[in-house]
Amino acid sequence: MAGRASPEWYRNCLWYSQMRGRAVSWCAAVAMAGAASAAVGAAIPQAPPRPPDVEALLTRIDDLYRSTSSIARMEILVTGPRSTRSLRLRAWTRGEEEALIVIEAPPREEGTATLRVGDNLWNYLPRIARTIRVPPSMMLGSWMGTDFTNDDLVKESSLRKDFASRIDRRSDDPAGWWVALDVKPGVVGRWARIEMLVSDDLLPIEERHFDRRGRLARTMTFDEIKTLGGRRLPAHLTLTPTDTPNQRTELRYLDVRFDVPLPDDTFSLSRLERRP
Amino acid sequence: MAFVATRYAARTVGRNLRRTVLSIVGIAIGCVLALFMESLNRGKGELIARAGASGGVGHLRVVPEGWRERRDVRLRLADWQADLAAARAEPGVVLATSRARAQVLLAMGTHVVPVEMVGVEPALEPKTFRYVQAMAEGRYLRDGDPGGVVVGRAIADRLSAGVDDEIVATAMGKGGEIQSAMFRIVGIVATGSEDADATICQVARPDLERFLGVPGAGEVTIIVSDYRRIDAIRAALLPKLAPGDDVVTLSDLTPEIEGHLAQDAATARVISAIILLIVLLGVASAQLAAVLERRREFAVLSALGMSGTRMVRLIVEEALMLGVAGALVALAIGLPLVWRFARGGLDFGRYLGGSYSFAGVLLEPVIYGDFGWWIAPYVFVVSIAATTVASLYPAWYAARTDPAVALRVAQ
Amino acid sequence: MPGFTMSRIAWRNLWRNRRRTALALAAIGLSVALVLVYDGLLRWESDWLLQTITGPMLGHAQVHAPGWRKTRDLDKTLRHASALVAAVEDAPDVADATARVYAPALAAKGEEGFAVVVIGVDVERESRPTRLLAGVSVPDPGRRVLMGRQLAEQMGVRPGDEIALVGQGVDGSLANDLFTVAALVETAVDLVNRQAVVMPIDEAQQFFVMPDEAHEIVVYGRDAERAAALAEGLRARPALAGLDVLDWRALAPAMVSLVDLVQAAWIVVLLLVLIAAAAGVANTMLMATFERTHEFGMLLALGTSPSRIVGMILVESMALGLIGALTGTAIGGALVAWAHHTGIDYAALTGGGPSSLSVFGMNWSLRIYPRLALVDVTRAVLAVLATSVVASAWPAARAARLQPARALRD
Repeated sequence: MAGRASPEWYRNCLWYSQMRGRAVSWCAAVAMAGAASAAVGAAIPQAPPRPPDVEALLTRIDDLYRSTSSIARMEILVTGPRSTRSLRLRAWTRGEEEALIVIEAPPREEGTATLRVGDNLWNYLPRIARTIRVPPSMMLGSWMGTDFTNDDLVKESSLRKDFASRIDRRSDDPAGWWVALDVKPGVVGRWARIEMLVSDDLLPIEERHFDRRGRLARTMTFDEIKTLGGRRLPAHLTLTPTDTPNQRTELRYLDVRFDVPLPDDTFSLSRLERRP
Repeated sequence: MAFVATRYAARTVGRNLRRTVLSIVGIAIGCVLALFMESLNRGKGELIARAGASGGVGHLRVVPEGWRERRDVRLRLADWQADLAAARAEPGVVLATSRARAQVLLAMGTHVVPVEMVGVEPALEPKTFRYVQAMAEGRYLRDGDPGGVVVGRAIADRLSAGVDDEIVATAMGKGGEIQSAMFRIVGIVATGSEDADATICQVARPDLERFLGVPGAGEVTIIVSDYRRIDAIRAALLPKLAPGDDVVTLSDLTPEIEGHLAQDAATARVISAIILLIVLLGVASAQLAAVLERRREFAVLSALGMSGTRMVRLIVEEALMLGVAGALVALAIGLPLVWRFARGGLDFGRYLGGSYSFAGVLLEPVIYGDFGWWIAPYVFVVSIAATTVASLYPAWYAARTDPAVALRVAQ
Repeated sequence: MPGFTMSRIAWRNLWRNRRRTALALAAIGLSVALVLVYDGLLRWESDWLLQTITGPMLGHAQVHAPGWRKTRDLDKTLRHASALVAAVEDAPDVADATARVYAPALAAKGEEGFAVVVIGVDVERESRPTRLLAGVSVPDPGRRVLMGRQLAEQMGVRPGDEIALVGQGVDGSLANDLFTVAALVETAVDLVNRQAVVMPIDEAQQFFVMPDEAHEIVVYGRDAERAAALAEGLRARPALAGLDVLDWRALAPAMVSLVDLVQAAWIVVLLLVLIAAAAGVANTMLMATFERTHEFGMLLALGTSPSRIVGMILVESMALGLIGALTGTAIGGALVAWAHHTGIDYAALTGGGPSSLSVFGMNWSLRIYPRLALVDVTRAVLAVLATSVVASAWPAARAARLQPARALRD
């Protein structure tokens, strides 16, 4: 353990950098789930399978996650080699800069809250009644102990703009279309290629992400189609990294409201410390 | 009469050539050994300072205001270009290069590694940071070839990435915004130390600027020609920098190096003392042996009327002559030896697996001896001191001898 | 081979010319003594280095769960740590073993959070001399922790202050609690001073929800030099099957280089020292023997055979060498023993040098306790003995070829 040269402990604190992700824009979070979500309104299945217009499809997907503000309740399940962790959260977001997340369950962690305003991140810990600011160095990294990353959530990633897409082939079981997306040159992102399986309802079923070396890095599956916040979305999302198949993250939306007016003091430290 | 003593001394020296030669050779060998040791000691100081210079720390570093209190990598110099120019123009400075640092997260697929990314001047950086002089794979950064990154092997392994792979770097950029950029691995470095490998991540500084949206350099690293002048150069440079910017030295940056330099110097002093003692002992005993055998000769001189003082002076003068001769021979043998040592150095690499890490800084295990004006005075002082001290007892002994007693004993 | 008579004559020669004998003995004896003093210092440096490297943090060997060293994942733990420690201590050649927990966390005194490492240790064991917390008093139980001095300075924490610690348990849950900083520590390990919060291992295990688990077991054998064999032996034991067991050389290859380099450098110096001593002795013996040309001439004139003379000289110088070397050993040995007992303060010796030193992230205090090994004595004695015999062989051989008349005239 060479001392001076390796202040790696705090950097390796993935959990804490994960905490930072909680404060991330929830628009994007919802977008993940609805990355290939349906058009506004219910999709009408067509009888003879005709490949959808890719441009229109991706535009709908990209536009779906935009909202000026949102309030959501969700469940997160992280399955790891040693344990399974389940959380229920309530989240408020406004724009890209402000987010407040409060844990509702399990009881041991109830009331724990995270607030992000701009480049500042705070955590409130009810058990010890303390508010602690997270140092900037710990603010990067994956999200909430999950396999999601900031790239997934923060960036205004646009499938339509960043990828050259085409319908690849038909899938019969489950019924749908495989869409191949290859990243355009000059785009900053981890995925060189995404293969997406879209149902005939134009809702995502599965996404495969390939890293810059063309290796399958992770797989996302979508199910439990519901109407949430007036939009038809898969409510259940599962993310499995290829390297560690016994580890996965599941996200389940319980309810979401988009473009809701939020009180001005929602994103403040005092609000953080007030028990919901 | 004084002159007689000297002439007698000279003739003694000439008369018993073997004894004289033996004496001189003995003295010379002792002096050469002591000389070599001293050269080695001084060379170790250079070794330590070189550790700082070539390990990327530099002899001096221009840093922004406030850096001393909180070593925040996000701080930037008030006017880095002016500082760089001032540093380069300063006499005694061999090299000055600019850098900027940032805390980033590198990612390849689902693999994520946090590192400190350093933006450098590709043409100059290898001269200040030895371990990017040779790549284990690929090549180093090049001017005019943007988007490249060089990482240590440990990082590449954890990312499961290799040369030509594209990785995403994420950092807190301007205004606290999270910025991302793609970099392509152009080279991989293997230092032999996994911990050190995990800290190497370099890009061209303009690339880092673009990535973060934060302009400017955070430091100017300076290499000087003579490490002993570090403080002097710092004092000269400080007023020429942009207001607010500060200069820190190798000792400020790695206080343990200072400590090691001091400890090394201290150890060296102890060792020198021991070697000098041994040399002194050798010379003294040889001289004593020589003198003891000349009891009859001294007895005769005494019987002939030479006073005790004169005899003492005789012996001391003999010793001085031997001392000077010994020093000259020592220089004749020693100068070329030490010169070769200073140029070629003593390579300890054979004993080690490559190089070793010291205080977070990597080191080439070659010791270059020191060669300078100090050599001649040092040899003369050692030689003359040894022979003079060595002659004290025999001188006293000879002066005290009762000629009758001495002459009577059939020795 | 000189006969018995010759030996007796040789012996008497020595006693007859007391001054010369005394001088030669002094030269040889003191040379040996000085070489031994140097050896004593060299051994101490080597011991000190090894002890400083292996004592506080590394130990002679370490046990980890496979893959932990690469990523230091919190959940790659050693299960049933206490049983493992017991199993390790049962192994032959193991003097001591203790478990540790390493976990990243966030610490805050007020609102500002700092990234720290929580290190859970067996405080009682690790506060023994030469260990990590040497000299530190064990804090009272009940959420009392120790903090590295530099970290405390950065955070503005003083003993008695309360801090919040936030981390992630092995089960993924949020670990957070308030702790009192019992004392600040300045250990031999830079990492600890700059980033660590040290707490009793059972409290760490509770905080991070890892009952009876640990990240590392530090093992001490009886001799740091035989660490590789120790690790080998541990690896073979069934209780440690499948675990990573490495000796300190494999764990910290950079350290190995340092130790080797220091030893190499000092051996070079030892050579110089030996040469210097040998040169001194040689010079003395040469001088002494050459001065006796007259005497040899006399003996030759009286009918002694040249070979007898050579033999006599050789016996004399061997005797001188032996007695001198033994005396020197006694003196040198006594000096080293005394220094070992009382210890020498380096700072005082070198006139205000540093009293401690930070290298490799470790702080070393400078107090010297030289010691000698048998090989040092043997080497010095043999070198000097050989030198004195060889040094007198040449003039002896020369003397044997003398023509008595010329020799007498000398």
